[in-house]
This record gives sequence, structure tokens and C-alpha cells, in this order.
Amino acid sequence: MVTKNSADVVIVGTGVVGVVIAEQLLDAGHSVLMIEAGPRVTRAEVVENWRNAPLGVKGDTSVAYPSRLWAPHPMGGEKPEDAYLQFTGPDAYDQTFIRYAGGSTWHWAGTSWRLTPEDMRLNSLYGVGRDWAFDYDTLEPYYVRTEHKLGICGPSDRSQQWPQTGDRSAPYPMPALPFSPGEVRFTEVVKTLGYNNIPVAQARNSGMPYDGRPACCANNNCVPVCPVAAKYDAETALHRLEKKGATLLVDSVVYKVETNAQNKIEAVHFYDQHKETHRITGKLFVLACNGLENPKLLLMSKDDRNPNGVANSSDQVGRNMMDHPARTFTVTTKDPFWSGVGPVVNSGIMETSQGAFRSEHAGAYFRYNNFARNRFVTFAALKKGLVGKALDDEIRRMAACTADIVAAHEILPDPNNRLTLSDKKDWLGLPKPSINYDVGDYVRKSWEAYSQPIGKQIAEAMGAVDIKISPKFNNSKHIMGGTIMGKDASNSVVDVDCRAHDHENLFIPGGGAMAAGACGNSTITMTALALKAGDAIVEQMRGA
Amino acid sequence: MKTVKSFVLVAPLALIALAPAAAQEFSKELIEKGRYLATASDCVACHTNHDGGKPMAGGLPMASPVGTIMSTNITPSKEFGIGSYSEAQFSDAVRKGIRADGANLYPAMPYVSYSNMKDEDIHALYAYFMQGVEPVDEKAMETKLPFPMNIRASMIGWNMLFRPNETHKDDPTQSAEWNRGKYLAEGAAHCSTCHTPRGIFMQEQKSLNLTGGQVGPWYAPDITNDKVHGIGTWSQEDLVTYLKTGKLDNKAQAAGSMAEAISYSLQHLTDADLNAIATYVRSVPSTKAGETTGATRFDKGTADNDMAAFRGRDYADGLKGDHAGAQIFAANCASCHGYNAQGTKDGYYPSLFHNAATAGDNSINVISAILNGVDRHTEAGHVFMPPFGDQVNAVVQLNNVEVASLSNYLLAQYGNDKLKVTPEDVQVIREGGPKSNMIQLARIGLAGGAAAVAFLLAGFIWYRARRKKPSVLSE
Repeated sequence: MVTKNSADVVIVGTGVVGVVIAEQLLDAGHSVLMIEAGPRVTRAEVVENWRNAPLGVKGDTSVAYPSRLWAPHPMGGEKPEDAYLQFTGPDAYDQTFIRYAGGSTWHWAGTSWRLTPEDMRLNSLYGVGRDWAFDYDTLEPYYVRTEHKLGICGPSDRSQQWPQTGDRSAPYPMPALPFSPGEVRFTEVVKTLGYNNIPVAQARNSGMPYDGRPACCANNNCVPVCPVAAKYDAETALHRLEKKGATLLVDSVVYKVETNAQNKIEAVHFYDQHKETHRITGKLFVLACNGLENPKLLLMSKDDRNPNGVANSSDQVGRNMMDHPARTFTVTTKDPFWSGVGPVVNSGIMETSQGAFRSEHAGAYFRYNNFARNRFVTFAALKKGLVGKALDDEIRRMAACTADIVAAHEILPDPNNRLTLSDKKDWLGLPKPSINYDVGDYVRKSWEAYSQPIGKQIAEAMGAVDIKISPKFNNSKHIMGGTIMGKDASNSVVDVDCRAHDHENLFIPGGGAMAAGACGNSTITMTALALKAGDAIVEQMRGA
Repeated sequence: MKTVKSFVLVAPLALIALAPAAAQEFSKELIEKGRYLATASDCVACHTNHDGGKPMAGGLPMASPVGTIMSTNITPSKEFGIGSYSEAQFSDAVRKGIRADGANLYPAMPYVSYSNMKDEDIHALYAYFMQGVEPVDEKAMETKLPFPMNIRASMIGWNMLFRPNETHKDDPTQSAEWNRGKYLAEGAAHCSTCHTPRGIFMQEQKSLNLTGGQVGPWYAPDITNDKVHGIGTWSQEDLVTYLKTGKLDNKAQAAGSMAEAISYSLQHLTDADLNAIATYVRSVPSTKAGETTGATRFDKGTADNDMAAFRGRDYADGLKGDHAGAQIFAANCASCHGYNAQGTKDGYYPSLFHNAATAGDNSINVISAILNGVDRHTEAGHVFMPPFGDQVNAVVQLNNVEVASLSNYLLAQYGNDKLKVTPEDVQVIREGGPKSNMIQLARIGLAGGAAAVAFLLAGFIWYRARRKKPSVLSE
């Protein structure tokens, strides 16, 4: 085995977290080498993969991103025993993510809700879960930087912004996008119930180009891919990073983090797509693989000095896996609503995520899904046996007169919600991740006593003639918690800068560090943590 | 090898003492008049680095076949700009291409056009540049061109042949509006700099005035009143609308240098002046022989698509077959321009049929629009098509074969189906436009003496350097 390469900073993963840190370091004059497990593809290919896919398989976002043998990621339609993710426990931690250069922001919706000050003090205020290791005011400047780095649009009217508590030190760089006809109607309906449906802050260019990317032209195709790069995704930064000097290795699966006698990180080892192994050395290492792949890699890397796995003296690596357990109300209405103009997620009710009730049960965020409905209603229309004009008319009616309202819940960090290494192996012979998961009583109680009643109330106010509710909690694909942050090294994995308590030159930023995830999508907070870690790394490299 | 001096207006420090600036105070009105004329002359387009530079402080890199030319600081900074120029020196620089130390400017500065400016307007411009522009005490990056480009004296001969030495004289047989239009169009607005083809010495061929010319990677088309090749089918209102907004729905949109001219200059002119320019331009006849009937570049093509040939297949397969161009169109263009290339009703996304870019007499602009995108700021908003070349913000970095396939699809399906694009054509545009006979010119030059080389190359630089700037946006 030979050392193929080295750099000041080695970053494993090319998603949004790795990319924003890489740019900070490059701008500070450090050499950066990024290692990506999966392939690098063009936007054109992804767009056409999606368009060429038959309607029947489009329920699975990953159909546009077929996984490579050496870098498996969850694909729809797999048999449970063949699937990449293995599950135990009452609920399935059935996530979607992709191992491609640019990472899973390729197919995120762009939704960028900040946490509230209260979300970060759950234990102090409500006696449940964990407090964050720092307060909202500490995170706020990094939220601002994230909003400008990614190009997040949002309302300038304070009453329409989220959070309502806590200060905002700078406006959004772009105005909010207008509502679709369905959202306008939904907003009016919920207002009669006393709820404020507000514009989603979203990483999407609204009415103007930003950062060299064009304005949103409303393809309503944000998930699985923005065909014009009006939505931020980390792929849009890769050429720029390379021009700034970054080296990018793709199809390179890191399987081991190597420690030295001082228990600092010395190197990482990877397999290429021909199963050849390579070793990369560096002064400092960043694991930015995501909240599942990071704990898996740390556990796989156990050595004599670190018998529970790297960075795992606390035994918290892989524990506290979180998401936003969601239930969907599919509402058929008497009158047309019309979803689908503009981005796929464009507004939501966030105030229902907050309140004194959080000592008893979870809060919930209600979202009117703005996906165009025709894809979802066509099969139902076909099942009715309709043909010709009658079929067209029924698809049209149901596209107008159905809507999905999603209730996304906060979940508490539970050490028993745990990722371990499965006995099952992938193509390279590496263990598949196995996740034990239970959404917990905190969530179930909310559903029974709080979110389900609110959801039904909203559906009725919409003029529902039929309401179908998803039978179980679905995953929101917001992977959080597996390398949890804390001040106490005995019960957390990383410190306030996402530095491993156990290894001074190892950073594990991103969603894994989040001590509480509240109800809003996690990417903006992951990115804010990445920028904070980036500052710490630049500072640390200065002393190096 | 001699040290090459700065390209345009900056006076060498040693000579500043010879040219004390006027100490007089100019009136607000005069300064404002000068500001307007500077806008009409589009000084800011070249003399500002639009990637964070200060206005008129120079430093805009402009690609040329012999190296990158940096525009100069023309703020009234005494040390780094033109703050020590007398009005006579300023006048000579603007109208004669002679800087304060007596050396010749290269005609990257369009003094050939500006030479028609009236004394009173030069006076106003001088007032503006001395007292209406914020001095910037920063040295603009110097142009470093290799030998023999440093022989400025060669321009003396060129100027004798090609520089008009007369200011504008009204034609009494024409209306006041027409005369105003000619004064602006041939002078400050320097339309002919791009729209008139060049001769062997890269001089404007006045006999072919406004019949079209190549400008770096773009083609400035025929804007004579020829009904087939020019804009003879445009109404007065059409042309004024175009100059104000940079687009005329279902006909044409400004990109490249014209987008800059509209963004920085033309849209800010008064309606009266835009009408005057339109009146004059619409009176300029074509002297080029060509068909007298037939479809114009504004009304070729129809809405259509070729998706049945590849939809449902693998993307890689789609790229291999006869329908590669249609596949590339679907993957990269249709999301904005529509699956039938029909554009949007508001015209923000133009249709690709009934579009001058796909139906011109050559394929330069269709290739360049793909590679470089479109970037235009107007009061109606920021029009931005991302590039598909090798810029870091390219949505997809298409290679030469892909751009050629796509161009051929667009031309055949929506525009001028007589044209064919090769990957080599694409490479030429990717590199900033034809390098054509550079090497040959140099050989001739070596045989005939270095001065002749400089003479030819100077003209060539002028031709090539017209406001070409990278379309990559900074962060």
C-alpha cells in the first residue's frame, strides 16, 4: 500500500458540509483534498435519468441516482435483506441519501428553517431531551452566513419570518417566492383556524440570479433535481473549488480512519472502484459523509487505542439517531386547490412546533406539499378503469382537488436509537449499517393528542370530502444525531466546534452533531455548524 | 526586449508635471452633461473591473490574441489616473488617440468613433471626468504585451490612413433628429466599432457600414435597413424598445458586448436620443449584395421537438445516436426554453425559433450563447442565462462535440438550417473568437519589419479586445 496523496486538510465527503468547509480552507490558503465514495455526474444526466424513468418508479427519488456497486446507497424497491440499510426495532430508519459528488443536496427541497432559541434549550425549558452546547445567539451569525453562502430566499416582513423569537442580524439575500394557487388558498383556510402559514426560507434563487446561478423558473422538480441549478446544491460548487485548488477524488470509498501513537488522526484509507486500497495523509481531517456514513466509518475504524471505534470513548457514536417522523394527510377537496406552481415546498406552519406542551409531547410542523399532483393521482385514476377523455378529466380533477398536508414531528435523542455495524456486507466487503429505531412515546403522544387532531381540523377546514392518513410514521430523510455534540466528553462525541473530543485533528461536522433537531429541515443547521467548524479549523491550522 | 508601457490613457509619472490640470470649478449642469455623454460613450464598460473594482478605475482584463489587455484608471487621480490632464490633452486622448506624453494609444480605445465629438461635448466630458468622478488612487494592473506590440509609433501611420479627423457636421438635407442620431450612433455610442466589418488592417470598412462584424466570441449582426439581412423589418418603436430593454420578443435579444452596451449605456439614454439613434440607424442602407426577398433572421423556424426519438432510453444511449442534439437540448435547454423551444409568454425565456441567435447568416451567436450564456441588467430586471462552457458556474460543462450537436439541432430545428457547426468551430468560439491570420500576419511582419507587425497587430487587438470579458460570475 502506498500513500497516494496528502494535503493540509483531508475532507471525506463532497456534500454541502464538506464543500463549505473546503472553500473556507482554500480561501485561507490551505491545501484541500476531498474524497467522494460515489461518482461525479452531470446535471444533464441526472435530469434525463429522472425524465426517462417510468412514472411507476418515480416515488423513489434515488431512481435518478443509481448507486454504484462500491458506494451503495438506499434504492427503492430492494428486498429488505438485500437493502443497504438494515433495520431493527419497531420503526424503520428508512432514509434516502445518495453517495454522489455533491451529496444529497442534489435532491433536497431547499427548505431552510432555522432552529429557535427554545429548540436549543429543550432540557432547560421543558425537561426533555438535551440542550445544545451553546445558545441561539452563538449560532445566529452562522445562520446568516449560511443564508448568504447558499443563497436562501425568505420574507423581509418580520411577522412572516422564522423563528419569531431570537434576533435576526441580517436580512435574507433574496425575497420570498410567491405562493402557488393552492398555497394561497391553504393560507386563507388555516388563518380561519388561527394559524399562520408562512413562506419557507429556501435555498433557491427567487426572481434573480445569485452566485452565478440562474433564477428559479418553476420546473417544480426540486426533488429529485433542480434542472437549472437555481436551487443550491453542493455540485454547483465543485468546479469553483477545483479552480481554487482543491483535489477531488471520486469513486473512492474511505473505510478506515487511522490513528497514531498520540491518538491523532494520521491517515484515511480508501478503496477505489477496483477494490485497490490507498492511504491519504494530512494534518487535519474532516468527516463530512453524513449522519449515517460518519458513525459507520468511525465504528469500522476501531483499533487498539480506540476499541469502541474512533472518536467513541463516550460510546455515543451511532446513538441518538434522529429524523422528523412524519404523517401525511392526503386530502380530497370539493373545490380545486391546484398545487405545483413554483417550488415543491414553499410554505408551512411552524408555530405549532413550539409551546409549553413540549414537556409532554413533540411539536409538529405542518406543510402543504406543493408538488404538482398529476404524478400522484394518475395511478388512482387508472385503477378506476377510466380511459380516454374520462381518464384525462379524472387526472385533471384529482390534480386540482387533492393535496398532501404533512405533519413533521420533533424527536428526542435516545441512545437506543442506534446505528451499529451489520453482519451483512456490501460489494466491497464492508459492513452495512444497521439501525435500531423507535420514534418513541414523545412523538406518538403528539400524534394522538396534538398533531393528528390539528391535521384533521385543517383538512376539514379545507373542505375535505375524503382524508387518507399514512398508516405509520415516514422518514423525512433528515439524518441527525449519530455523532452528537456536547460539552461533556463522557456523553457526547464532538465539542462545540464539531471537533472530536478524542482526537484534536478530527472534525465531524453536520447533522450528526445536532443535539436536538426540532421540526424544521436540518440542512441549514448542518451548514451553520460546518461554517463554525470551518472557522475553528482555520484557527487551529494557524497554530499548527 | 523593451518594457511595455500601459495600454491606454495613463500618463507615465515622469510626464505629469508637464500637464497641470485645470484648476477651474465646473458647473453642476456641465458635469451632468458630461456624465450623460460618458454614459452614452459607455466608458464604464471597459474602464471598470466589474468584479468588485471601483468605477472608472480600470483593471478590466480583456482577452486578446497577444495577451490580456488591462483597461486603465481614468479617474481624476493625479498619480494613477488622468487627474493631471489638461483639457487639450484629454481631447487628444479621446478624439485622436494620443495620450498626454505624446505616445499613441492603441485603438482598443474607440477614438476613431469619438473623433466626431464636438468641442462643447469634449468640454463637458472633461468637466465630468475631472470633477464628477471619484478619484481612485490605485494603480490599475498594467498591460504586459510582448514585442512587437510595444512599438506605439506604428499607430501614426494607421491613424493617417484610418482616423477621421473631423468632428460631426450636420447634414442640412436631414432632420435634426437624424443628425443627432448620426452624431451619437457614429460617435459616442460607437455602433460601427462592432457592427461594421474590418478590412485587412482591421480598420472599419466604411463602405460596408453596419453590415455586421465579429466581436471576439460574438457576432454583431447586420443592422442596416436591409429587409432580409438587416433590421429593415423593424419599426422605430421596435428598435427603441430593443435599445432600452435588450430584447424584442420573438425576434432578438442582446448578449455579449451588446448586453453590456445596453446594461451600462443605451438603456440610460433619453427617449429622444434613443429615437434619434433609431432614426439614423434605420436610414443606413446595406451596400452588401444579397437576396432581396426571403425570411429574415427574426422569423425562421417553428415550435417542435424530437423527444420521441430518445425519451425512455438511457441518457448515454441518447447521446450516441442521430438525435444527440435533441437529447442535449432536452437535458440542458428545455427546462427554461420549453420542450418545444417555445420560451415563456413574458419573453424572459425567449423562444429559440423566431430568434436572431439561431437564424443568423452564421452560427457564431448560437455557439457563443451556449458557451457564454447571457447576462444583461436592465430596469426590467437582471436577465441571466448561465453558461455551458468551461466556466466554474456552467450548469453543465458541455464539450465541443456536444455544443456542435446541440447547435446543429437548434439551427436545423428552429433556425437557419443551411448552417453546420463542427467541434472545431466551437473550439474557436471557446477560445474567444477566431485567431485567423495572426501567425501569417506575424510572418509578413517579420519580412516587412517589426513596425509593420505592430501596425497589423495593433489593429487586430483593437478588433479583438472589444469588451470581451469572462462570463463567469464572481461569488
